[in-house]
Amino acid sequence: MRHNAKAIFLFSAALMWAANAPAAERTWRTLDQLTDAEKQIIDTTPVPPRMPEQSYLPEEPYPFSAPYNAEEVGYRVMNFTHMARWSHIMADVFGSITKSGYMSQSTMSGLASYKGKPGPEFQINAEPGDVYSDQLFYYTYPPKNEGEQMMWNLRRTGPEQATKLDYFIYSPSLRRVRRQPPPRRENQFPDSVQSFDDVVGREPWEFTWRFIGADTIYESVRFPKNRPTMTLTKPDGSFFEVNTADLKMLGSEYPSYREDGGVECFVVVAEPQRDWLPDYGVSKLVYWVDKTYFYPLRIEQYDSDGKFTTVQVRFAQRENSALPDGEGYTNNQSVYWDSKLDLTAFSVHDAHKVKGWSEEEQTFFTPDFMRRRWETHPRKSLALVDKPEQFYLRPHLYLDRFPSERKIDIPADVASRIAAQDASGQLVFADEE
Amino acid sequence: MVSRSRGPGRNMLGKSRVSGNSRIKGYSRAAARASRAICALALAAGIATTAQAEGLSDLSLGGFQRKIAVFDPGGRYLTRPLERRVPGLVAKGQYYFSSGVMFQKNDGAGFREKDFRLLQAQNVFEAEFSYRISSKLALTSINHFQYDAVYDIESARGIYADQVDREFEYYDDFERIARELYISYRTPKFDMVVGKQQIAWGKMDGRCIDVINPMDQRESVQLESSDYERRRLPLWMANGTYYFENASVNLLWIPDYNENVNPVYGSPWFSPLIPPTDQMARANKALLNGDVDAGGDRYLLSNSPDWQDIEDHQFAARLDSGIGKLTWGLIYYYAWERNASNEVAGSFVSGPDTQLTFRPNHNRLHHFGVTSDYAWTASSVPVIGNLPMVLRVEALYTTGVRFADANRQAAARGGSMNNGLSEHNTLRAAVALELALPDNLSIILQPSFYMTQNWNNGLGSGFGGAVADKWALAPVFFIEKPIRATRDRLKLTTTVTPYISWPNRGFQGMKTKVTASYELSQYIRGKITYTSYTGGDMNDLYGQYDDYDNIGIEFGYEF
Repeated sequence: MRHNAKAIFLFSAALMWAANAPAAERTWRTLDQLTDAEKQIIDTTPVPPRMPEQSYLPEEPYPFSAPYNAEEVGYRVMNFTHMARWSHIMADVFGSITKSGYMSQSTMSGLASYKGKPGPEFQINAEPGDVYSDQLFYYTYPPKNEGEQMMWNLRRTGPEQATKLDYFIYSPSLRRVRRQPPPRRENQFPDSVQSFDDVVGREPWEFTWRFIGADTIYESVRFPKNRPTMTLTKPDGSFFEVNTADLKMLGSEYPSYREDGGVECFVVVAEPQRDWLPDYGVSKLVYWVDKTYFYPLRIEQYDSDGKFTTVQVRFAQRENSALPDGEGYTNNQSVYWDSKLDLTAFSVHDAHKVKGWSEEEQTFFTPDFMRRRWETHPRKSLALVDKPEQFYLRPHLYLDRFPSERKIDIPADVASRIAAQDASGQLVFADEE
Repeated sequence: MVSRSRGPGRNMLGKSRVSGNSRIKGYSRAAARASRAICALALAAGIATTAQAEGLSDLSLGGFQRKIAVFDPGGRYLTRPLERRVPGLVAKGQYYFSSGVMFQKNDGAGFREKDFRLLQAQNVFEAEFSYRISSKLALTSINHFQYDAVYDIESARGIYADQVDREFEYYDDFERIARELYISYRTPKFDMVVGKQQIAWGKMDGRCIDVINPMDQRESVQLESSDYERRRLPLWMANGTYYFENASVNLLWIPDYNENVNPVYGSPWFSPLIPPTDQMARANKALLNGDVDAGGDRYLLSNSPDWQDIEDHQFAARLDSGIGKLTWGLIYYYAWERNASNEVAGSFVSGPDTQLTFRPNHNRLHHFGVTSDYAWTASSVPVIGNLPMVLRVEALYTTGVRFADANRQAAARGGSMNNGLSEHNTLRAAVALELALPDNLSIILQPSFYMTQNWNNGLGSGFGGAVADKWALAPVFFIEKPIRATRDRLKLTTTVTPYISWPNRGFQGMKTKVTASYELSQYIRGKITYTSYTGGDMNDLYGQYDDYDNIGIEFGYEF
């Protein structure tokens, strides 16, 4: 009890200090505080609503040019969905942990095929309903899931085309390929924080976009102190060990780190257009995107009442060196946190390898292929977490930043566990408080 | 065709087989019991020791949850070390326990003694190995060791199927233990799998076009889709598939043949409608051996397909394709009946009565099937908003199905000799609509339809047709809800299956199943299932099992 009270006191004191800190000491700035250099990059003029006779797409073609308005930044964010925007293979490692420390993890071999050239242009310019990507996932762990497969045929949405993907599963216990109903996009995956939209990505034309300011992020994905190293896999399948403290938010090749290691970001808000998404359960998303490539390092979601629900933070890596500038960056590690359940989840895209698919290999991306139970491109990963105590830390909440836009209420017991986590440098579970 | 000697082989309903005493060489029944008890004790001791070593004695709930999440002794000490030693090998193990206890322990149900409560206490160990010889070639072996302790636990007079067929108690031959064994050769466009395997055709729950393999149907009406993987009987076959741009063609060549395994005298689910009483049956070796039936008719040796004769082989083909969001498939299967039909082969006089002599025979069937599915999202649905859904359709038309015809048998007894059978075509079809509602609530509505062409009142049962009637409808309702507060570890499902037929029987009862499953960890899961049979008359499909309501506990560990 004394430990809990102390933790809550420290947490509250930290909040009070941050709220009252002078602007010069804080990292976040509102629009009126942007520098001239920043105003060269972005155009903070509100994006006017479309007239009925106008196309819902921006006038200027992707990838646009500076200064970028908020909507154009939203389209640029489209390049950095959960999965890389080029054809590739990889090991998908993911898991979650509850507040009491119950941990579950899985690994899959993932195959992705994209139509057109890398990036979102094909999807933007495609006809509504067209398939722009086929993805096949083969479960390799845990044993109860081994051999299960999922196939997603991702479709471009449009005014009359709400279906985002065709979804097929193969279950070894049924020995059948079953088409599943198109998933409810904002529903979280079983036992996870991520929703389908978090993984597949959101279409910017379904949202309105606006800037709210700028900020600097020093940490996104956080490791506990008792996990000093982790083993990752190279594209050729060989393993290598890294110090977790040496992992950087945008990898080692990112050109725009601050001297103090931080990444300067613009902060942009996306809100669903209700004529496109009348029943969407998310009322707002807040993105922290780096100023150079508009890579989203942090994404917060707010429910239909405007209350904070989940946060996602990312590490990125330049996995496709054939692409210029930031186009070759993709998600390497992500951590998600659900504030209502105090559920933390992670995802690692390991053993990433750029892979073009021949015409013959396109048969891999047909539903009936899954009946063959053939793991054509096994990708191994050793990135699983060994023990619950070594799980990723909850992301920072930044309670003091942009208070007019971010309504964050954290229950006392959750706040206590967060404070204990931050004090100890590792997860502290509900029964250990 | 060959006439099979009594011994290995499966029997249709009413024809039973005395177990081969010579199969357990050197073991007495007592020694077998002792060895099973020792194994059980060793397993329990191993679990306790490992639990201690893994710190599961920590009584804090959170601590227990953290420990159980990573508790995987089979993976840690068996499969993972093996995989490390043998690159290219994938090894998996599974232990599965399922039990069923009836609420009512009567002094009888129809002809059955039914003086027991325990329906099953099955233990299944599965060992699966897959070795990747090259990027295109793999060898797979799946082995099952099954032991149903009900025959040792229950001392009831009504449980004696282990004396009729030892495999109801445990597997003790290569055919059942070596469950699947095949070699696969794969290229992007071509797939060839040769060996003992099982095939599941179809897109929906149930077995509409899932007809390639026979099934172990010892659980009769209690058998569920979730059991098919363990109950389907693999066959030796060659299975080839070629993939075109938008279509695939699958061809099967099946030299092997096996009948369905049906409940036998003394098994918990043997139909209450089949005479004689268990008291009489137990003492009648000829009856249990399938030489005679309760009425005194005799049965000759069964004529079964001969794998050495290519004309006795089975062949099947399947075509799959898609048009936009619609996928469809066509199948054809040149097959044998899974249950032999009893042809009248002669008659004899026994006292004042004329009895018939039957020869169980298998007839050729032609199966023609279709399967399809389509998915879409309905928008602006009141209350719900967007409603994703998928529609699945399947149908199977079978020609040449033979039914025992009581009218023709009566004529044979009266001197007008005929084979006692009549041939009909049958149709079975199903339509399934699956709805994805908010909060991961799933609902499936699946009406299934059965019809026998040119049906008449004297017909027995036959493949694909309705039970004891011309038409039947079984509108299945299924609902599933994972409980988010438990992180979806707790899942509740309900399945309701009424059976309605006409013009004769009408409502033949309803089966209701309610299940709560819980994932203790990624490796360990448990399930409690309540099954009830209500309605219908005592001689109806579900009505005959009116007193068989039961609750079952299942437990599974995969590593």
